[in-house]
Amino acid sequence: MNPWMLYLVWPLIKFLIAFVIVQVIVAAMNWIERRVLGLIQARLGPNRVGPWGLLQIVADPIKFLLKEDIVPSSAEKIAYFLGPMLPLVPAFIVFCLIPFGPPPTFAVTHTNVGLLLILALTSTGVYGIILGGWASNNKYSLMGGLRSAAQMVSYEVPFGLSIVGVLMLCGSLDLVHIINYQAHHVWNVFPQLIAAFIFFVSMNAENNRTPFDLPEAESELVAGYHTEYSAMKFAFFMLAEYSAMLVNCCLMVSLFLGGWTLAIGGYGLTTATLKSMGFMGGLLGTVIFVVKVMTFMMIYIWFRATFPRFRFDQLMDLGWKWMIPLALINIFVTGIVVLAAPEMIINGSVVPVGETILAVAGAATVALTLFLIMKPRAHAPKVIHASRVSEA
Amino acid sequence: MLEFIVFFVFAAIAVIFALAVILHRNPVVGALSLVASFFALAVMYVLLEAPFLAVLQIIVYAGAIMVLFLFVIMLLNLQHAREENTRPIQQFLGYTGSAAFGLGLVYYIAKYAALQLPNGPFNADARAVGVELFQAYIFPFEMVSILLLAAIVGALLLSGRLPSKVRAADGEGAR
Repeated sequence: MNPWMLYLVWPLIKFLIAFVIVQVIVAAMNWIERRVLGLIQARLGPNRVGPWGLLQIVADPIKFLLKEDIVPSSAEKIAYFLGPMLPLVPAFIVFCLIPFGPPPTFAVTHTNVGLLLILALTSTGVYGIILGGWASNNKYSLMGGLRSAAQMVSYEVPFGLSIVGVLMLCGSLDLVHIINYQAHHVWNVFPQLIAAFIFFVSMNAENNRTPFDLPEAESELVAGYHTEYSAMKFAFFMLAEYSAMLVNCCLMVSLFLGGWTLAIGGYGLTTATLKSMGFMGGLLGTVIFVVKVMTFMMIYIWFRATFPRFRFDQLMDLGWKWMIPLALINIFVTGIVVLAAPEMIINGSVVPVGETILAVAGAATVALTLFLIMKPRAHAPKVIHASRVSEA
Repeated sequence: MLEFIVFFVFAAIAVIFALAVILHRNPVVGALSLVASFFALAVMYVLLEAPFLAVLQIIVYAGAIMVLFLFVIMLLNLQHAREENTRPIQQFLGYTGSAAFGLGLVYYIAKYAALQLPNGPFNADARAVGVELFQAYIFPFEMVSILLLAAIVGALLLSGRLPSKVRAADGEGAR
């Protein structure tokens, strides 16, 4: 094939398709989130525009476009405009690097440092928030920006460390290789249970989502870093946040849940099986990937509806005193097991000794933690049900 | 041919933003220019067929260190820092000194580094870097880690966040 077609035209077409799909999902997420939050909080949510409020997806962008765009008179003009734009760039580029289905057809590009490149790009998303907070020339905005900077730098460490265990098991930085490895062994979420947990919590913190939404805590900082932003600029911040959420869910699915495959030990829908089905197989893989990703988006919303916000010192304690040591212990244990229990091949089939040991150890740790949390305290205060309080 | 165009475009970007770092009065703009310069440098690594180093450059410098720089600049609210007037002799010494240093740097780099290409294929993927780091350069690597640890302990000591027992033993007395 003509190299121009291979390296420029096809990737561009594929990127545009992925871009449009991602934007539709991001726009739809806004409606889904509000409806699901309503469901969880025993209220209705948006239900007026169109059937089930579905046209809210269209109504919101129109409202954002038509609203007056206010720029504070004392704002730093260039930085104020750059603030909402900067996080969009990495959020969109990253979708070039995520394999949505079996490559080469369903992935835009394929590099051997794909995972690190994704981490590098997502780690620069924080600049928009800091810049926006600073340029608004508003003390609440600045506080929000500063909190965001501190939080994102802190949680990037456990975020990165939790991936190391997966890399040690799979021996590659290539997402396609990691996904294929999982299809032929077992989903990484089992041997890397603790890492998956740390990854999920830190990705919530990276996205400033609710238990960790201190940069935009409305009871303390009005709206945090985007207090002074209105109309389309505010929409850009939201767009970047939801795109980043989607990227993190894609990473979670690729690293820990087998990506587009649905197989264990090489049986089931592996990449080879899907490829033998031709284009439809690839499409099936993509559907599997999207379903897994949307499941995690739902868990994001569930988190938001369930947990109260942290205090800032609690947030830092959790990051530095719990997540990072836990991630380091996980790396240490994984390293020992990978070295001590190499892959055994009996009768031509792979026996995952190391993975089994790690999975048992991880499950035991979780069970012990749950036991310690759930254990009734010796002098626990008598619990009064909320409905009885008025009677008492 | 394409590589030359990419090189010169991004070299120009790197130099222009590096100049902005030292010439612009606003420290926030300076820090952001440095980030842009780092990105241009990352492109240089890609051109040298070392994408792993390029990505590390962005993760470590642009993604972490410069965020902390910006954090400190904003925390101290340095945006309208006024500079004291300098004496002419200071300016003269500063300009000539840095010019001499720059010329010397260019001379020695041109003399020793650029003309000696490494023999054999250049290999800088994650595995190669890891193996080199933990076999050939294990001693300097550990030395740097000890140095950083000492810096952390020192910073902790200077910020005075010690338990009251340690303070009392130091003769400082618990507040």
